[in-house]
Amino acid sequence: MSGGRIVREARRRAGLSQAQLAERVGTTQSAIARIERGTTEPSFARVVDLVAATGLSLVPQMLEPDGSDWSLAVDNLRLSLDARVRRHRSALRFAQAGREAMRGRG
Amino acid sequence: MAAAEFAPERILATLHAHGVRCVLMGGFAAVLYGSPFVTTDIDVVPASDQENLARLSEALRDLHARVWTASEPDGLPFDHSPTSLGAVRVWNLTTDYGRLDLTFEPSGTQGYDDVARDAIHLVILGADVNVASLADVIRSKEAAGRDKDRLVLPTLRRIAEEDGGAPR
Repeated sequence: MSGGRIVREARRRAGLSQAQLAERVGTTQSAIARIERGTTEPSFARVVDLVAATGLSLVPQMLEPDGSDWSLAVDNLRLSLDARVRRHRSALRFAQAGREAMRGRG
Repeated sequence: MAAAEFAPERILATLHAHGVRCVLMGGFAAVLYGSPFVTTDIDVVPASDQENLARLSEALRDLHARVWTASEPDGLPFDHSPTSLGAVRVWNLTTDYGRLDLTFEPSGTQGYDDVARDAIHLVILGADVNVASLADVIRSKEAAGRDKDRLVLPTLRRIAEEDGGAPR
């Protein structure tokens, strides 16, 4: 995600206009617009400052990539709506039967 | 190739028919204990001795298992033997009945013997299934520590505290 998209997301979450954010950090609305559009790529420190000005904190987190959910989504994207529903219905049918079997154990 | 209809009971029944010693783990095991986070693949922990791997290899042939990749969601054909299956710790497969992940040593566990100890045996839609205990599912997810695990763990812990997931 670009710095501009992070700034825009933070600004919108805080319910601020570009002009209001600009005022908070002592710059112009057009400068904020350029950052959000990606015309200007801000430094990481600048992004942190802009997010802080919205009242939010930007907390970087390093994570191991995990593709397992995405791999299931890739499968789902290839399916028709009916097939997506059938797939989940099958999962739920199995889960329901499993719960019944567990109940049967007492 | 048309996408496979998901039928986890068919996958598990095929493994059982071949005498594969294995335990159902992961998100689907959690669902059986009452987790609301439904998934559409199954995670299985097979025993890793050569005899079991030979049975597993035969079962995978029956299931027409292929290696799942993002670029080839229908799966890449793979030739497998007991030795080659045991040489890879995690297999992400697609089968005639949906997605199947094989993990020989899930995070936080010592593998099959470890999770089989407290597993419960169920017959689900005609399929014999050994399901890992909820405590072991939680232990593994805690150790894996992925974002998706962190999301579900508070609910799973609550289920464990409430009644261990016993159905009413």
